[in-house]
Amino acid sequence: MTFDYHEPTSVREAIELSARFGGDGRFLAGGTDLMVQIHRGRLNPRHVVSLQCVPGLDGIEVDGAVRLGARVTHRRLESAEAFQGALRGLAEGAEVVGGHQVRNVATVGGNIVNASPAADVVVVLLALDATLTCLGPAGERTVALDGFATAPGVTGLRPNELLTRASFPRLAPRSATVFLKAGRRRAMEISIACVAARVTLDDLERCQDVRIALGAVAPTAIRARAAERHLEARPLTDGLMRETGRIAAAECRPIGDVRASARYRALLVATLVPRALARCLERIKLGAP
Amino acid sequence: MDAPGKVTGTALYAADFALPGMLYGKVLRSSEPHARLVRIDAGRAARLPGVRAVITAADVPDVRYGGSVKDERVFARDRIRFAGQPLAAVAATSPDAAAAALTAIEVVCEPLRPVFDVAAALAPGAPLVHDAWASYTALPILHRDGNVCNRARIVVGDVERGFVEADRVFENRFTTSSVHQGYTEPRAAVAQWDSSGQVTVWSNTQLPFEIQTTLAEILQLPPSKVRVIVPGIGGGFGGKLRIGVEHFAALLAMKTGRPVKVMTTSEEELTAAYARQPATVAVKTGVTNDGRLTAREARLWFDTGAFAGSGPGVASVATLMLAGPYRIPNLLLEGFAVYTNKTNFGSFRAPSGPQANFAVESQMDIIADALGLDPLELRLKNIVREGEEGPTGQVLTAVGLEECLRRAADAIGWRDRRPEVGRGKGIACGWWTTTGGSSGVYVKVNPDGTVALNTGAAEIGTAALTGAAQVLAEDLGVQMADINVVSADTLSTPFDFGAQGSRTAFAVGNACRAAVADLKRQILALASKHLGVEESALALREGSVVGAGKRATLGELARISQASGGGLIAHGTFVAPPTPYDTKRVEGHVYPAFHSPSFHAHATDLSVDAETGEITIHRYVVAQDVGFAMNPAAIEGQIEGGVAQGLGQALSEEIVYENGRVLNANLTDYKMPTARDVPRVESILVQHPSLVGPFGAKGVGEPPNIEPPAAIANAVASATGVRITSLPITAEKVALALRERAK
Ligand SMILES: Cc1cc2nc3c(=O)[nH]c(=O)nc-3n(C[C@H](O)[C@H](O)[C@H](O)COP(=O)(O)OP(=O)(O)OC[C@H]3O[C@@H](n4cnc5c(N)ncnc54)[C@H](O)[C@@H]3O)c2cc1C
Repeated sequence: MTFDYHEPTSVREAIELSARFGGDGRFLAGGTDLMVQIHRGRLNPRHVVSLQCVPGLDGIEVDGAVRLGARVTHRRLESAEAFQGALRGLAEGAEVVGGHQVRNVATVGGNIVNASPAADVVVVLLALDATLTCLGPAGERTVALDGFATAPGVTGLRPNELLTRASFPRLAPRSATVFLKAGRRRAMEISIACVAARVTLDDLERCQDVRIALGAVAPTAIRARAAERHLEARPLTDGLMRETGRIAAAECRPIGDVRASARYRALLVATLVPRALARCLERIKLGAP
Repeated sequence: MDAPGKVTGTALYAADFALPGMLYGKVLRSSEPHARLVRIDAGRAARLPGVRAVITAADVPDVRYGGSVKDERVFARDRIRFAGQPLAAVAATSPDAAAAALTAIEVVCEPLRPVFDVAAALAPGAPLVHDAWASYTALPILHRDGNVCNRARIVVGDVERGFVEADRVFENRFTTSSVHQGYTEPRAAVAQWDSSGQVTVWSNTQLPFEIQTTLAEILQLPPSKVRVIVPGIGGGFGGKLRIGVEHFAALLAMKTGRPVKVMTTSEEELTAAYARQPATVAVKTGVTNDGRLTAREARLWFDTGAFAGSGPGVASVATLMLAGPYRIPNLLLEGFAVYTNKTNFGSFRAPSGPQANFAVESQMDIIADALGLDPLELRLKNIVREGEEGPTGQVLTAVGLEECLRRAADAIGWRDRRPEVGRGKGIACGWWTTTGGSSGVYVKVNPDGTVALNTGAAEIGTAALTGAAQVLAEDLGVQMADINVVSADTLSTPFDFGAQGSRTAFAVGNACRAAVADLKRQILALASKHLGVEESALALREGSVVGAGKRATLGELARISQASGGGLIAHGTFVAPPTPYDTKRVEGHVYPAFHSPSFHAHATDLSVDAETGEITIHRYVVAQDVGFAMNPAAIEGQIEGGVAQGLGQALSEEIVYENGRVLNANLTDYKMPTARDVPRVESILVQHPSLVGPFGAKGVGEPPNIEPPAAIANAVASATGVRITSLPITAEKVALALRERAK
């Protein structure tokens, strides 16, 4: 394992370097995925371009839309005041990533670009309709997070493009978010299955807008669209939430591996989806003036 | 004594150890589980930059070694017996260069039909893991047959008659997984040869004297030419008893003429170390309607992997554990160590304890449920008591078991066993040995009055040598701060049987007592002469000899002795007296009785999520009969650590095999519990003094690891009605079992 290490001090320089190295280069944020992959011999970049000294990538902005710089760490997400209210699901996703040491350095951008199907924060961002801003030698473009990852470890990021931020619209009133994760232990755990839900209720307590996103039960994090549709304009009763869980379980495509069987993963989806919805409902009620 | 250095990060471990000019060694391991080794070509690897030596079977003496059966070689010669078996080793100027060289070694082999588990290995016509097993040198006592490298047996009374006397007969089967000791420091060794042909190996072994013997055998040297030093151990738990990487370091250092360091990776630890033997256990127990146990027939099969290693001994210990701490008049108990094409599984803190205890203590609850008895009452009705016989006829003394059970049950609130839906309490009890073996110490009084304790034992992190030093301080009337320990160097320290079997504080402590008795005689004789006071009027107090209004400090006396008589020094020894048992009851048995046995009960209170199967432990209580608590804080530390490890085995840890290969050879997917998974552990120290231990102490290190799987299984059954009979008890198993039942 040997590589040249570069520490650019501007976004432009970072992109120039990566354009120069092409397929031989890799960006380094917290390194919690990249370094493990290099150590295990799965990646062997000749050049590593650190984002450590690149300014402008670590902001959390919440004026209207919410914008998260790619280098924002999970630690900052879990402790940000802005994510203690209706956006609590985002903090819940961040606070269960790895352990303290991991969260202190691991970033949102890394979680997204690494494109693991079990990336916890990605699942929450999917439920928030996040878009991504990518900057490359050819300029900036914005793409939807949904569909960005196409297979485990594979994304639509173009060669030499830098992910600069993830953004999502501000929540409507009477909204809540929740994230739930299942695993064999309570920390340092890759999700066996995880669920993020976002619910906005109308004045008649019916679902006005719902997102259900699932992690670790398909080749990428996915939205459970059929489950979302099932809730359209209906009040969240216990029975309906359970049905929705079953629909979500039917539309996910889990594998069985050393962490869990496919059957158990589907069972977790069927259980965690209604729990996440019920908790959203509870939070909206608590939050209502 | 070792704690401040460890807490502040200044303690030296074997993994820290380095010498100038040192090379780094790495081991090429087979990816095939069972194959004929056709050819191995290291030519290209040897020419790579930084590479100083590549060795294979062709470069080392053709020696087979092993403690109970000599069935193992340094490198595979013509036959590969497990995925992970060493084929070659490289020494290079950096770990990376060594790793790169491994990939350049060409291996050609032809796969053979494998046996991946005990059932396959015992099936008629199964391939033999060792075709020539019958010709191997082995302990004569072992009962070997093909893939079985030992069958240990206990026979008492007549089980068939016992089953006839029973009103009900229960038959259950249990399985357990292989789990790793999880020591934080990987196995590491540095070896260096000197001009006289002596090799020195700095290693984190628990047994420096055994490693010395094994190395001498492998290197074909007299043991005096092999010096083993333990600079420090970052945890062992039985995983560092047998030879690990010492031989690779020594052989590579011999070849290169430079010091060589070899250290394992997590992957090597999980594929090719001495993880706990997976077991299959079948238990048949007869019981009367009022809950009296009349007979037990139980068999436990250990997967010992490609080599016997600790297997034959652990299979023997298992039979004592299968009896449980119960009075059962008719017994037929068998423990098997079975060869398979897997790594040589080995000893792990209370070897065989958790596997056997999980089975028999789970079954005790199954019986209690079926008979409508309280599980605690069923146990109290059948446990062994003071003066009764153990399974092999040993007479039991200092039996604190009833007190352990009652106090653990009281502490957990046993009367309210199912406080709410999905919540339940479980209890399990057991017994364990304080391993014997001999210990020697030298104790020397320094000219400043401090005392040097020189022992062949290694401090493995249990504070066992602190315990021994406490005994020494107490007997000699000096402060703990005045004692310095020199340990674990086969050249300069006296023999010790090693850091194993909960014996160190017990045996080294007793050796210290013997040394102090001798030292006191020397001190008093000298003081009497020096002070002109009759010996009988003198006493040792707070670092001085006092009497008749006069006083001489130990330092003074040491200085006088140094000027006139070579100094104050004593040699103390201890060997545990044999525990008599009935030899007619055992066969193939290398561990027929438990010395100074300890007794214990664990109780837990937990909730189970009915849908996800997730288990939340509210409370965990341990009542352990420690004989005499020399150092209560250290014992509680042992209990907490043992329970944490035990909960890992109970709930989350498992080395997963598929076709002989490990699927989770990394610490992402091998799930040791984290700080967030382990509840606070409440310790109750019960004290029924043993006759032999220093001040009545019993071994305390291993026992806390035994009962957690059974206690958890019983609590889960109490909470849900679902009985999980395989370890680990994952949320997935519980959830799916609840589903099945709902159908
Ligand atoms: C012990 C441990 C536990 C973990 N637990 C969890 C967990 O519970 N949940 C979870 O979701 N993840 C977990 N992870 C995975 C990892 O921590 C997360 O995915 C993390 O968010 C990755 O961020 P990073 O900054 O460390 O990424 P890095 O490792 O630095 O980068 C990951 C990938 O993204 C690329 N990259 C990074 N930033 C950018 C950018 N701005 N533009 C373009 N490409 C970029 C890198 O080139 C690399 O390919 C764990 C990892 C470890 C080591």
